[in-house]
Parts: sequence; C-alpha cells; structure tokens
Amino acid sequence: MHSKGSLTRRGLIATAAAFGVAGAARAQQPAEVKIGLIVPLSGLYTRPGTVMRMGAQMGIEHINAQGGIKALGGARLRLVTIDCGDTTEKAKNAAQRMVAQEPDLVGATGSYLSSFTLAVTEVTERAQLPVVTLSYSDLLTERGFKFIFQTAATAGAQSAMGLPELMKLAQSASGKRPKTVGIVMDNTATSVATAKAIKEKLLDELGLELLFDEVWTPPLADATPLVQRVRSARPDLLLFMPNAVSDAKLGLEKLSEFGLGQGRIPTISFSITVAEPDMLQSVTPEVVQGLMTIVANWGSKGQEALMAELKAKYGEPWMTQNAISTYGDMWLFKEALEKAGKADRLAVAEALRNLDGAPSRYYPGGILKFDERGRRIGAGITIVQWQDGVPVTVYPPDLATAQPFWPKA
Amino acid sequence: MRQDRSLLAILVFAVVYAALSLTVTNSYYQLMMTLVLVWATMGLSWNLLSGYTGLVSFGHAAFFGLGAYTVALAQNYFGLSPWISIPIAAVLGGIAGLVVGLPTFRLRGHYFALAMLAYPLALLYVFEWLGYQEVSLPMERVHPAAYMQFSDGRIYTFIALVILVLVMLVTRRVERSRFGLALMAIKQNEAAADAAGIDTLGWKLRAIALSGMIAGGIGGFYAVVLLVVTPIAVFGMLVSAQALTVAMFGGVGTVWGPVIGALILIPVSETLHAELGAWVPGIQGVIYGCAIIAVMIAAPEGLFWTLRDRFFKRAPAAAAEAPPPSPENVVAWSAQRPRRTVGDEVILDVKGLSKSFGGLKAVQDVSFQVRKGMILGIIGPNGAGKTTVFNLLNGFLVPDTGEVLLNGRNIVGRKPHQLCAMGMGRTFQIMRPFQRMTVADNVLVGAFVKAATDEEARRLAADAIRRVGLADHADEIAGGLATRQLRLMEIARALAGQPEILLLDETLAGLGHGEVDDVIAVIRRLADEGTTIVIIEHTMQAMVRLVDHFLVLDHGAVLVDGEPEAVTRDPQVVEAYLGKKWGAYAHN
Repeated sequence: MHSKGSLTRRGLIATAAAFGVAGAARAQQPAEVKIGLIVPLSGLYTRPGTVMRMGAQMGIEHINAQGGIKALGGARLRLVTIDCGDTTEKAKNAAQRMVAQEPDLVGATGSYLSSFTLAVTEVTERAQLPVVTLSYSDLLTERGFKFIFQTAATAGAQSAMGLPELMKLAQSASGKRPKTVGIVMDNTATSVATAKAIKEKLLDELGLELLFDEVWTPPLADATPLVQRVRSARPDLLLFMPNAVSDAKLGLEKLSEFGLGQGRIPTISFSITVAEPDMLQSVTPEVVQGLMTIVANWGSKGQEALMAELKAKYGEPWMTQNAISTYGDMWLFKEALEKAGKADRLAVAEALRNLDGAPSRYYPGGILKFDERGRRIGAGITIVQWQDGVPVTVYPPDLATAQPFWPKA
Repeated sequence: MRQDRSLLAILVFAVVYAALSLTVTNSYYQLMMTLVLVWATMGLSWNLLSGYTGLVSFGHAAFFGLGAYTVALAQNYFGLSPWISIPIAAVLGGIAGLVVGLPTFRLRGHYFALAMLAYPLALLYVFEWLGYQEVSLPMERVHPAAYMQFSDGRIYTFIALVILVLVMLVTRRVERSRFGLALMAIKQNEAAADAAGIDTLGWKLRAIALSGMIAGGIGGFYAVVLLVVTPIAVFGMLVSAQALTVAMFGGVGTVWGPVIGALILIPVSETLHAELGAWVPGIQGVIYGCAIIAVMIAAPEGLFWTLRDRFFKRAPAAAAEAPPPSPENVVAWSAQRPRRTVGDEVILDVKGLSKSFGGLKAVQDVSFQVRKGMILGIIGPNGAGKTTVFNLLNGFLVPDTGEVLLNGRNIVGRKPHQLCAMGMGRTFQIMRPFQRMTVADNVLVGAFVKAATDEEARRLAADAIRRVGLADHADEIAGGLATRQLRLMEIARALAGQPEILLLDETLAGLGHGEVDDVIAVIRRLADEGTTIVIIEHTMQAMVRLVDHFLVLDHGAVLVDGEPEAVTRDPQVVEAYLGKKWGAYAHN
C-alpha cells in the first residue's frame, strides 16, 4: 500500500533540499505550501480518517500535476498528516502539536467526528489557522469563530432538505404520500441533532405522524425489541439512524429477518455509515437493497474519472463523502491561495471569507462562498440509495448517477 | 526531620517544574506539561481513596466528569467563570462522593470495584440523554483572563501546578494524620481497624468525599484546558483507567506515586502517538501497553516503592535473625506462678449469651464474670466457640439472646469502634500488621480512639510500645519484625487505645518456647499494671502459668468455670480436651 512512511523525516529532507537548491533561484517564493490534514488514523475511526487521507492525497497530486499554485509561481502543495487519534483529548493535543510544530501551515482540514473537529478548531481558532471541515454539527459554526469553514450542510439543514425530497420521491414512485413515520436511532450527537430537527419542525410541516421513537446507546446488543416495535407499528417510513457499522448490520439484518427489509418498509438513514464499503463485509447486498441515506456529499455525476482513480489507486469501491469532500477541500485551498497571492494563513483565511462564489464542483449544491458564520452558502445534500450492492447518488437530479426506486409496499 | 524533607521535596519539585515550564515556548509541549499535572492530580484523587483504603475504584470518572460538565454548563448557561465554577465543581464532586459512598461502601473487594464502575457509565448515558453530547466552552474575546482563557499556555501550567501542589500537601497531611492511618488500617484489615476503635465507614466516607472533591475540581480544570466536553471524554472508561494507571504505575499509597506515574506515562504515550501515529497508526497503543506491562512486572508495587526499596533501603532491621532479648523482656520467670490478688469489682458481666449460625449453635447460654485486674483464660478445642465469644463481646457479631454488661452498661448492639472507645480492646488470631508502616505508626492507629490530638496519640502509642517492651524497635518497619515482636506490637496497638479490658485472641500461637515466656511476662506485667485481660488459647501448658481463672468451652457451652488448679484437675476437662498427658497429671 502506498503509505506516508516516515513522512516527517522525508518531508524535512525534501524541504531542506528545496530550500537549498531552489531557494537561491526563487528566494521570495516558498517552494511548497503546506496544508494540514488532521484526521483519526488510529483507533476506532481509523477507517474514515484513512479515506479522507486518500481524498486529500489525490487532490494534492492533481493540483500539483496541473501546475500548482499559479499565483505563487507554481508553488506545489504538500500535505502534512497528523493523527488526531480516537478521543477528544488526543484530538486537542494533536491540534496543539500541529499549530506548534508546523508554523508554516496555511490551513488544514479535518477531523471526521464533530467532537474532534470541535476540539481541534478551539486550538486552530486561537492560532488563527483556517480549518475547512466536512463535519456537519451545527455547533461548529455557532461559536462565533472566524477561522472555521464548514463545507457541508449542517445536520439540522440536512434533514430539512432531505425529508421533503424523499416525500416527493415516494409520491412520484409509489403514487401515495407517506403518512406515518417511526424513528429508531442511536444517541450520538449527530443522530440526536438530526432527530431534534425532524421532531421539532419537519414532521408537522410534512404532515407526518410519529408512531414511535426508539433510542439505543451504541453498541447495539440486540435489535429484536426495536424491530418488533417497527413490525407492530408498520410505519410508512422508517428513519433508521445508526453511526456504527455493527449497529447498522444488526438492525438491518433483523429487519430483513422479520420480513421488513429490502424496502418493504422504506428505510432512510442520515449518515454515511450505512453506505460505507465496510457494510458489505457484514451484510449481503440483498439486506441493504433499496436502503436510502441522506448525506452531505457523495461521489456523483461528473466525478466518474475520480471514482475510477480512487478505485484503481486505493481499491476503494466507491467514493464516500470522506473522500470527495476532502478532495474538494484541497481545491478549495488552491482557490483561496490563488486569491490570497501569498502563502500566509491569515491571507488564506481572509481569502476563504471572501471567495467569489464560483460553482461548487466537489460539494453538492450552492456555491464556493461562506457566510459570516463560516457555513457554505447554499450547501445541499445528496441522497444515496443502495442498488445492487452499490450505494449510488439518486438525488439531486443533476448529480444523480442512477434513478431512485421506491419500494412497492 | 523526615517531614521537613518531604515538604522540601514537594517545593523543589514545584519550583523546578515551574522553571522548566517558563523555558518552554512551544505551545504543544506546554499543553503536555499541563496535562501531566492534570493526570497527576487525578491520580492523587484516586490514590486518596483507593491507594490508602485498598478499595479499588474503577469509577473516578464520575466525579471528574461531573466537575467538567459543571464548569462547561455553568459558563454556557449562567456565564459563570471557571474561576468560580471550579471550586463549585470540587464541592459537587465531594457531594457526589458521599452519595456514591453511602450505598457502595456496603460492598467490599471486587464487588466494590464493579459497583464503582457503574457510576460513570450511568452518568455517561444520563448526559447523553440530556442532550449534552458536545458542550464547548464559549471563547471569551473581551475578558479572556476573567474566564481562565489565556493565550500563554504557561499560565495553565501554573494553575495546574498550584492545584497539584495543594493536593499533594493535602495528601501528605492526610497520610501523616489519623485520617491516613485510619485509611491504611482499613486497607490492611477492616475488621481489625474497626476493633481498634476506627469508625471505618466514617473515614471511608471522608476519603471518598475528599477524593471526589479533588477529582471534581481537576475535572473542571480539564474542561477549561480541553475546551470541549463530551460524555466519552470525561465519563469514559479511559478517564478512570488513566487515574488508576498513573497511580499504579508510579506507586500506590504515596504522594509521589501518581506524580511519577503521570510524569512518565503522559509524555510517553503522547510522544508515541505523535511520532508513530501518522507512521504506523495504532502502533503507539501496542508499544505503550507493552511498556506498562513490562514495568508492572518489574515493579509490581509501582516505581516509587521499587526504587525506594532499591536505593533508599533502611538499615536492615534485626528482622531476619533472632533479636537480642531486650532487657525489659528478660523478666525472671519462675515456673511457680505467684499468687495475684484480684479485686471484687466486676468489670465485664456476661449473661446467657447465645448465637446461632443457621442450625449451628456456636455459642449457647454462656455466662461468666470478669473482675478488674484479672487474667481470664478461655480454653477449649477448635470449634468450641472461643473466637465467636470474642466477636460477640467486641461487637463484630450481635448475640441472639443474652446481655453483656461492661461496667454495668449493656453493650449489646454497639459497633466495634464504639466498644473500643468504651474500653474494649482486642487482638486477632491472624496477625495483620501494616507491613510498610513503622512499629510506632502501627501502634498509633490504635491510639486515636482515646486521643484528642495527634500529639496525645503519639504519646499514648509510645507509652504502649514501652509497656510491651518494643521501644528499641519503634522506628522499624513492621514488615521486618519477627513473630514474637509482631505479637507484642499487636498487643501494643490494642493497648494504645487504653482499654479497660483487653481481649487477646491466641496471642501465644506460633511462638517458640522462649518466645512464649517473653510474651507471657509482658501480659502479666500489663495485668499487674491494672489492665484486665481475657485470653483465648488452646495451648494449656502456657495458660496454667498465666491465668487467674479458666473458662472452658465445648460446643459453644461453658463446661467448667474455675481456678486453674481445679480446672486442670477436673477429669471431665482433662480427659475430653487436654489429652492423656494432663490426664495422668490430674490423677496424680
């Protein structure tokens, strides 16, 4: 596997060589511009962190191959990878290490779990280092911070956008509008935020009746009581929100076992967990067939070459939010660097705050511009559906790689 | 002298650490320097309860997390500065300690550990359910210092250092006071501690409250350092484990253990994470785990004790070889027992005492009287109910029927430590010396029940040590004493509480012939000095030379109650319990 082996030492040598050889010729321009990638590379969240690194590496390679940062005389980007571990404390320590020991970073991206991103950005905010994140907790951009840029729609916004679309989809595909809904969720921050938005506002707006609301604390030991609840209530729509593959597996297999799977009760998720490649190591494609999930980003139409490259290079069967968003983050930094005209974190942050609003190529919906809180303007969602063993983008239409199907109840 | 030196050591440590912190400009290393102190404090909190009492807690995250959430929520909802909310967090931690302690101290050993595990787990779910999955401390841009927010990381280190030094001083004070001795006594043998007049539940509650206060306070400070509080980060298993690991690694039951543990483990784990994390992700955990296992195998009691034993070993006590007889013990001993005059005043009056365990009648209708200044010997074969009688007398067991009058007052139903305060002292068949403590400290544990001040307690202890003839050994570590000296030390511990009546449980067991004589001489001298003594024994030979009166028990009932001469000649006693040799003697 292509690894970042002894990155630090090699990086030092490379930097030293660059300064030694090219330094004389181009004294004023940095030969390299460093972007930080602070993601979990050890512990429970290694897998998503690794996929984010793949996306970042691909982004950097593409940018460098296309001539680097033109405003800086073709300066090349270099990725500095920092493992933020699997606890909030480790994430905070890693962030402190990043700002202390990599003083010439112009920006960073990370850190998968919103708890980690929260801790990391507490540090980077004080160090005035711009951080771009795919985490979508509302809290991230509610703290009045000036150096955080959230590319994804917030958790609250995602369900607000996604559910009405699903209703339309149901109506057009099956001819009738769902009237009842049941929620089965874990109690992680993401699920709780999503469910809160749904229960407080959306259900009324959409005329949906909530039949039940079951919560479990991960790890789920036995899904039987939850699924029995589903079977006895028979909602038109089931919102199933796990955040761990093992929990998703238990729930979905039990649904299937009770004859409710494969969309006999249309099932919707709100995280990328149920669409991770890991899922297929735990369940058969039949169990997940038809399952839909509303996510902040997904490999979509127009990114076929990227998806193929990711598969060829890293063996990833499809492109999740982690890969495509982090890939896009590199382009976002390139954009900001071109605009800033210098490799300086304050200038880059300023540039990120004043982007021109170019069309967003690697994040769904909206434009490349952030509001005063750091939320990307018009950030949309994608709806992904498992079809024959592959989760494909089925919404929005301009990004969809396949047509959605609504299970015939 | 030793006290001053240890105080000096803490001060030197603080000054060196502060000076080191001043030279560190890298904010990341500075953060590490702060976290070392945080975890050292947390380790000390754990040590205060678990290190000294031996009741292992897997649940210190409960107090830590409550403190962290107190600070985070107080600032979010009430705009309260951590300068104010950290002390509040400490108080809440202390209260939580009491609330947790009251029900949980009913359990012992592994059951206590497991029960403690439940509290942080329960709280974790409660805080998730309340919707506090992620709470961040708002950034204060106007008056950051008023909210304990500083751009210079050194200030956090200084605050943490102040907290740590305070906690070290508190721990040191506890360690050297009756509080610490009580906790250590509980650790060694809770029953013996109770019998020595220690209110075990009361001291344990004080310990868990103080421990909870420290954990709550440092948890609150941790929230300020981390700036983000999540249930997993503050109530998670890792928090309790971290507290336990630094203490166990560095050394349990000492001020320095957790500090040493944190000084080594926190930087090592973080360095491994930083250096190897991005290279071979996860390898840091493997190396860290292996390193801890290796050190714990090499130094099972923790680094502090192992290093101390290796480099600062005290001059070896006369332990291994037989000690030279101290002049006080060499009392001319004649086989002919001198007549002792015993007054008529009844100090202990036992009437119709019975106790059954299920179908087994351990003690049946036992009545006897003990007069002031008398030595009463209770004999009988194994299983005759001798120790059960003692347990009924000193409050370990409550009799089914009957009453026990001590100086005319019925004492049935009172707790052992209360009875001890009323003048009932006892020793145990199985010795449980506090191995790492000096003889003086071992005895001191027993003195607190009568002493109002630590000063007076030391005087009482010194007096008791002198009376049993161990004055030359007072500063030796109990772990190095010979059996005879340990027996005497146990007697001294009971004596230090100035009992009116002293219950000695098989004090002569396991002693060689000459040693028996030494101990008997001591016991007799105590009786001569006015202490009433009840002694259990089954070695008849020694007892006839010692006691004024015999009580013979069989199957829980009194068989014979009489003068030694009469009892040893009683054919019933002789044939049934004392064997042929004495039987022949009796018929002569």
